[in-house]
Parts: sequence; C-alpha cells; structure tokens
Amino acid sequence: MTDLPSHLSEEVHLAFPPRDALAIEARKLDFFYGKTQALYGVDLPVERNKITALIGPSGCGKSTLLRALNRIYDLYPKQHAVGRILLDGHDVLADRRSLQRLRDRDGGGDDTAMIRSPVDVAGLRARVGMVFQKPTPFPMSIYDNVAFGVRLYQRKSRAEMDQIVEKSLRRAALWDEVKDKLHSSGLGLSGGQQQRLCVARGIAVEPDVLLLDEPASALDPVSTAKLEETLIELRQDFTIVIVTHNLQQAARISNYTGFMYLGRMMEFQPTEELFANPRGQRTRDYVTGRFG
Amino acid sequence: MASAAPPDTARFGTSGSAGETLFHAACFGAATLLLVTLGGVVVSLAIGGWPAIEHFGFGFLTSSEWNPVTEVYGAAGPVVGTLATALLALVMALPLAIGVAVFLVEFCPRPVAQPVAIAVELLAGIPSIVYGMWGLFVLAPWFAEHVQLPLMMEAEPGSWQEKLFSGIPNGANIFTASVILAIMILPYMAAVFRELFMTVPAQLREAAYGLGCTPFEVIRAVVIPYVRRGMVGVIMLGLGRALGETMAVTFIIGNAHGFPDSVFASGSTIASTIANEFAEATSDMHSAALVALGLVLFLITFGVLAIARALLGSQRH
Ligand SMILES: Nc1ncnc2c1ncn2[C@@H]1O[C@H](COP(=O)(O)OP(=O)(O)OP(=O)(O)O)[C@@H](O)[C@H]1O
Ligand SMILES: [Mg+2]
Repeated sequence: MTDLPSHLSEEVHLAFPPRDALAIEARKLDFFYGKTQALYGVDLPVERNKITALIGPSGCGKSTLLRALNRIYDLYPKQHAVGRILLDGHDVLADRRSLQRLRDRDGGGDDTAMIRSPVDVAGLRARVGMVFQKPTPFPMSIYDNVAFGVRLYQRKSRAEMDQIVEKSLRRAALWDEVKDKLHSSGLGLSGGQQQRLCVARGIAVEPDVLLLDEPASALDPVSTAKLEETLIELRQDFTIVIVTHNLQQAARISNYTGFMYLGRMMEFQPTEELFANPRGQRTRDYVTGRFG
Repeated sequence: MASAAPPDTARFGTSGSAGETLFHAACFGAATLLLVTLGGVVVSLAIGGWPAIEHFGFGFLTSSEWNPVTEVYGAAGPVVGTLATALLALVMALPLAIGVAVFLVEFCPRPVAQPVAIAVELLAGIPSIVYGMWGLFVLAPWFAEHVQLPLMMEAEPGSWQEKLFSGIPNGANIFTASVILAIMILPYMAAVFRELFMTVPAQLREAAYGLGCTPFEVIRAVVIPYVRRGMVGVIMLGLGRALGETMAVTFIIGNAHGFPDSVFASGSTIASTIANEFAEATSDMHSAALVALGLVLFLITFGVLAIARALLGSQRH
C-alpha cells in the first residue's frame, strides 16, 4: 500500500456523496504503466446524473484515471490497475489476474462478494462510453457513425434506427447542422462538429456513464460553449466525468470537482465548495492560478 | 495607396546562386533521364514489335495460335495465362496476407510481432528462381499425385468439373503456377498491409473499443475502412508483381502454347514465353512477335501500377 509523503497527506480532503447515489466509483486505485506507477490509491466517487470534473496539473493522472474506468488500458499489455472500480456495486476489475494483484497488495482478508468470472470488457465499455481529446469520427457516414455502437448490440428496424440517430444528434446539439447530409462522411465535418458527433455516437448506446477527456481543448469558444450546453442537458439522462484544464469550464458545468496532483486525489468537493473554499494548500494554489 | 516596392525577384529565382542553379539542373536532368528511358523502352518495344503488330493486327491479341514453324503468332494464350495466374494468385494470397497483417498488428504480443514481421519481410526477398525450383521439384509432383489425379478421377465424364480439372497430371499447370505466385506475393503484401494498418491512429482504435467493439469488429468496421484506398493500392502492386514474374512461373507453368482450357492445363504467360523463346527466335517475325508480347505486358503492368499510384496517392487523411 502506498502512503503519501507526510507533507502531502495533510492536504487530502475528500467529501463523498452518499454511496448509494454513485454510478461508478474507484476505490484505492493504483495504476501502472509497466513499472511506472501513475496513480496512487485514488478514490473517485461519481454521482449518478451529475457532472464530475477532474482538474490538476499536466501529468497528474487525470487521463489515466479516466482510461481505467472503462478498462481501455487493457489494449496495452504492459498497463494494469490494482484496486476496485465499482459499477452498480460490481467490481469491473474483478478478473482473476486483477484479483490476485489486489490480494497481493492488500493481503488476504477481503470481502467475498467479489465476482470471480471474467468481466465482459466489451459490455463494460458499452456501458461506460468515452470521448477523447481529439475528435475520432470513424471513416463512415455521419449516420453510420452514430448508428455504429447501437448496431453492435441491438437489431433495430430502419425507422427505429433513424429515430435513435436523430435523437442522439439532437441531444448532442448537432442535428440542425447535419440533418441534410446524414449520409456524407463524418470526416467532412469541422473539428467542433466532429467532437459533437463523437458525443452523439457515445450517447446513442445509452451508456450509464460518459467519460470525456478534455473534449473541448481543440475547439473554438463557440463550439466549446455549445458542447458545454450539451453536457449540462445530458446530465438529466447520463452520468458524466470530464477532464478539463479549463477551470472556468469545470466551475460552470460540474457538480463535483476532484483535484489531482502527482497521481493522487488531493481534494474532492462539491464544485462550488472546491472553488470558493479550497481546503488544501495545493488546491488553493491551483484554483487561484498560482501553479499548474 | 503607396505603391509597394517590387519584390526582390533575385531572392526567389533559381538564378540566385551558381550552386542553386546546378542543383536545379541536376534534379531536372535526373527526372528527364528517367522519363526519356521510359519513353525509349516503349518506343523501342513498339518499333521492334511493329512487323508482328502490322502483320497480325488486332488478331495478335485475339488469336490463340502460336506456331513458330508456320510463322503464325497469336498472343491470346500467354495473355490469358498471365492474367489468369496473376488473378488466381491474388485471390489466394489476399485473404492470407490480410490475416497475417491483422494478426501482427492487432493480436500478436509485441515481443513476437517484431521478429515475425522481419521474417515476413525476409521471405519477400527470396529470389524467385528458388521458388521456381521448389515449385517444380516439390509442389508439382505432390500436387499431381494428391490433388490433380484424385479430382480427375472423381469428376463425372462430361461434367463441368471434368472440363475445369482436365489436363496432363504432371502438376505443371496454370493452377500450380498461381500457387507459387501466391506464395511469392504473400509476404510482400502482408508486409505492406502491416505498415498500412499501423497508420490507423491509436485513438480511432480506442474509440471503437470504447464503444464495446470486439477486435474483429474494430478491424472490420474501422481499421479496414480507414485504409481502404491504400489496400486497393497494395492489391494492385501485388498484382503487378504477379503479372511480371518470370523465372518461377517458367519453371512450373508447363510452357504450352495456346489457350489454357482448364485451371489444371499447362499454359504460358507472356513473361515465360519470352524467357523460353527469345534465345531461339531465329526468324524476324518470331522475334517481332516476342517484342510485341513484351509491349503488351508493359502496357498491362503499367496500367495496373498507374491505378495503384492513383489510389495510393489519394490515401491522405
Ligand atoms: N503510455 C504511457 N506510458 C508510460 N507512462 C505514461 C503513459 N501515459 C501516461 N504516462 C505517465 O503517467 C502519468 C499521468 O499521465 P496522464 O496522461 O494521466 O496525465 P494527465 O493528468 O492526463 O495530463 P494532461 O493534463 O497533460 O493530459 C504521467 O506522468 C505520464 O508521464
Ligand atoms: Mg490527459
């Protein structure tokens, strides 16, 4: 188990939402790129139908934490996570290798409610969607981009699919701009439109949780504002975790904010609380722009 | 508005310095030389083959009678043989090449993938005569005994199978030549496909996995569409190699003139015909016909490569 250096541990301030309101939760999560450790015992509670923002200086592990939540790191054999990630009370890290690692770290005295069967990773990722920093439209039409994920899991009639596509594009605030060219390539859209297309694609499969890693960093102010509106709207139906370098953005749209530093969750508070009254010294320095 | 001073043209022109001029001239010269060589090849092929083209006209391409004794030359046999072997080889090699490349890029553990990729590239470098000898001494006898004969025995007299599989059961035929060609172009195509698949951005792949795709779905729906144009280019380059391959094919195709009437019939390709007969072509018309054959091959290959270039050139995202 990794203990914080004493000068850091004083500063950890975590205010958790009630456990039964959580959609997904990371508990004592360590993450490794090969031998390099990038996360140290991170706790992240994500409340249902709220926006949770992650802030912190570059390299502090925000993307790493996000990538752990839907196990996308599994694509890279050298990367692994140790700890718990609970989705509806089920541990998504509970396959045999991860459990062994957890036992090695925390010792044998574990609760026995853990699943031992291999986790259906593809199914997990369908429930925990992800939007990346750079837009990643697939090389196919706008319509097919949105329909793609749905087709993986459900057979829909043409009419049903049309509806899903329209609804998703409307929710992503893109419908009006693309309704006349649904069957032209998604690659032909502007960067901001592509990003909203990726949001539409992500929500078309009705995931429980949507993870966004600096989704607005490549966008102009107008597109950013549109995307922010979209996210606030989406909060009614989804649970959102967003990584951002833009503190105003975090303050504007999020309900909770977590401040990370050197691979640790230093402070987790309701957003207004964290910005108005940061408890830790580093959090205060960061949100007032003194470092980072 | 004040008139702007004329730009300092000396800075932009190539006349600025002697070195610059020399460099420009050298590049221009090299490029010109290449084009002149290419043109020269076409012109000399056309001139050399002219007596045959003039004498036989369009019939040179449509007639399948090739007889040096009676001095009648029709190229349909070798042309069809060339196209048939190349296309058959492509059909056999393509799925395997894609499979190898997909395995190396998507599934193979990193430490194994690199050596295997190098091995694949080395395979692509084996001289064709080695493949030819292997084909003649190993593949052909095995094929005749274990494939050709049983199939011929099985076929009902008069059925389409009998027509398709008829031929001298010595294993030297269109089909085995195609197999050898497939084996030769397979590593080459696999190596280029691998490079192509690696150009797909990791983020795009992650986005697809992030929606809950299985590896197969990622490849089918995202990776292959992303490199679609490039893949067509690779296919054309593979086809180009198969069209022009000479030594290996000459060893194993059976070198029969005339139209191959089944996949197990001996035949010839343009390249194998030229390789076999050029030294013995005594009459002027015979050599002219062979040169004209060369021109036909050049045009076919050039066409295929031009299509490949055009498609590869437009693979820019
Ligand atoms: N593929 C990788 N291999 C090895 N180390 C990595 C890899 N990706 C990230 N890291 C390391 O893990 C740590 C956390 O990186 P991460 O990308 O999560 O930071 P971040 O908070 O998202 O930063 P940024 O704000 O710049 O995006 C960094 O020290 C980084 O160097
Ligand atoms: Mg990041």
